[in-house]
Amino acid sequence: MTSDLIGQPVDMLAAMLRQGRTSSVDLVSSALERIAAVDGTLQSFVCLASDAHEHARRADVEISAGGWRGPLHGVPVAVKDNYLTSDMPTRAGTSAPGIAFEPRDSSVVARLSAAGAVIIGKTRMHEFAWGNTTPPTRNPWDIARVPGGSSGGSGAAVAAGIVPIALGSDTGGSIRIPASLCGTVGLKPTFGRVSGAGVVPHSWSLDHAGPLSLTVADSAHVLNAIAGHDRGDPGTVPVEVPDFATALNQPINGLRIGVCRNHFFERNETGVLAAVEEAIAYFRDSGAVVIPFEMPILAYGLGAIFAIELSSSTAYHARNIADRHIEAFTDDVRILIEMGRLVTGPDYLKAEQFRRVLMQELARIFASVDVIVGPTTPLTAWPIDENTVQIDGTEESTLAASWRLTYPWNLAGLPAISLPCGFDGRGLPIGLQIAGRPFDELNVLRAAHAYERGHEWKDARPSVQRGGQSDGINP
Amino acid sequence: MQNATDETDELFEAIGLDLDTERRSVVLAAFRPIAVEIAKLRSLDLGDVYPAVVFSPVPGMAEEPKETR
Repeated sequence: MTSDLIGQPVDMLAAMLRQGRTSSVDLVSSALERIAAVDGTLQSFVCLASDAHEHARRADVEISAGGWRGPLHGVPVAVKDNYLTSDMPTRAGTSAPGIAFEPRDSSVVARLSAAGAVIIGKTRMHEFAWGNTTPPTRNPWDIARVPGGSSGGSGAAVAAGIVPIALGSDTGGSIRIPASLCGTVGLKPTFGRVSGAGVVPHSWSLDHAGPLSLTVADSAHVLNAIAGHDRGDPGTVPVEVPDFATALNQPINGLRIGVCRNHFFERNETGVLAAVEEAIAYFRDSGAVVIPFEMPILAYGLGAIFAIELSSSTAYHARNIADRHIEAFTDDVRILIEMGRLVTGPDYLKAEQFRRVLMQELARIFASVDVIVGPTTPLTAWPIDENTVQIDGTEESTLAASWRLTYPWNLAGLPAISLPCGFDGRGLPIGLQIAGRPFDELNVLRAAHAYERGHEWKDARPSVQRGGQSDGINP
Repeated sequence: MQNATDETDELFEAIGLDLDTERRSVVLAAFRPIAVEIAKLRSLDLGDVYPAVVFSPVPGMAEEPKETR
């Protein structure tokens, strides 16, 4: 048995499981071997499931008896530490004493289990999903650099080949940022597509549950398993759930690709800009129609997301503020929760008014384009403990820079995916972001899969060391 | 007549932020760049626009994670 068995896409693992060429028990063992080999360095997991082998044995029995449930059946997956689980503790990234969450499965965990997935453990996250570095997790491409956040453990675990799929959550970019920085796929579905019931809230109207995965197809398989209306989450919408795998292997001839030339292209690292421009050229050369446009209103978006996110998070933590549990939070998180009190009611509602305008503006744009393409993050993974970055001659905080291109899609609630589109001069992965209309994940996946199958980025693997380079293909 | 410190104390009490003076300064300093962005948002005239959050009289069935203590 080798620990690299697990570092394969789900389609391949599912085929091997059905043909009896491997077993779910072997895959779980392979994942645990991989954890033993690399997670002492990466620190991407906070908890392992004691019953994973038992679930795997049951999956093997069912599959061999002809009871295959679908692509996730018998496949080891991980979930972020803010998803409630009945058999593992939930900490939401905090080590503050006196805070614990009830032991029950969140809706997404229950749906993954129903699809036959074997949950092997929980991944590290930035405390209460309020940050983008996820200490002490390290980036598998260069362990001296951050994995992004707040789903940094999920990004590192998938990139390092520990699991092919890990669930994350995304309030301003927390799935797509670690996906971009770790060189994985990360899908934030439309708000209301996937239930947030049983996921520790950060900001109710901005939070999205979704997967990080090795490939676009794997994210489509996960979405098939977890999408759908849920009475436990009043934010979910009772719309039809298509088979997302039908978006794979589709032509993109005539697909209208929008490129928002302001905001998304204003200040990016040179390597990021070059890779994304090459991706746009690829779409054009593949028969898609590239339509540039501008959206000046995005200049007001940062104030809007801050007003909503800060006030929501502070409202959620009211009890932790009152009983002073907050004093044991890490200082970067504590300060954000405290300052939410400084956002006024009118500011919050103005931000919600802004959202309406943004949604209407995007609806107008989406009348003439099918997807919008751009960079996921303007920079690649930055060194741990570095809090500022210089891009295009302008110094800004890494926090401000890293979510600048992702938060607009949280404000609008639209589906958006990040997938690898190359490496910078330091061998660090670059993310391409594709967004779509509300509940049109099909076109997002269609465009993403078309790009992915025309390139070899998904086959590159990190060597998990300082300054580590690709084991697969040369950047 | 109240002095400025009293008024600041009163204001912080009104918004429910119970912090000592030193901590207050730290929070205010961190909030400053965010306040600039929010002020920019305030400058937009959106008077007639209905906010994106729409009230519904139908009760939701939210299953929020409960903290256990």
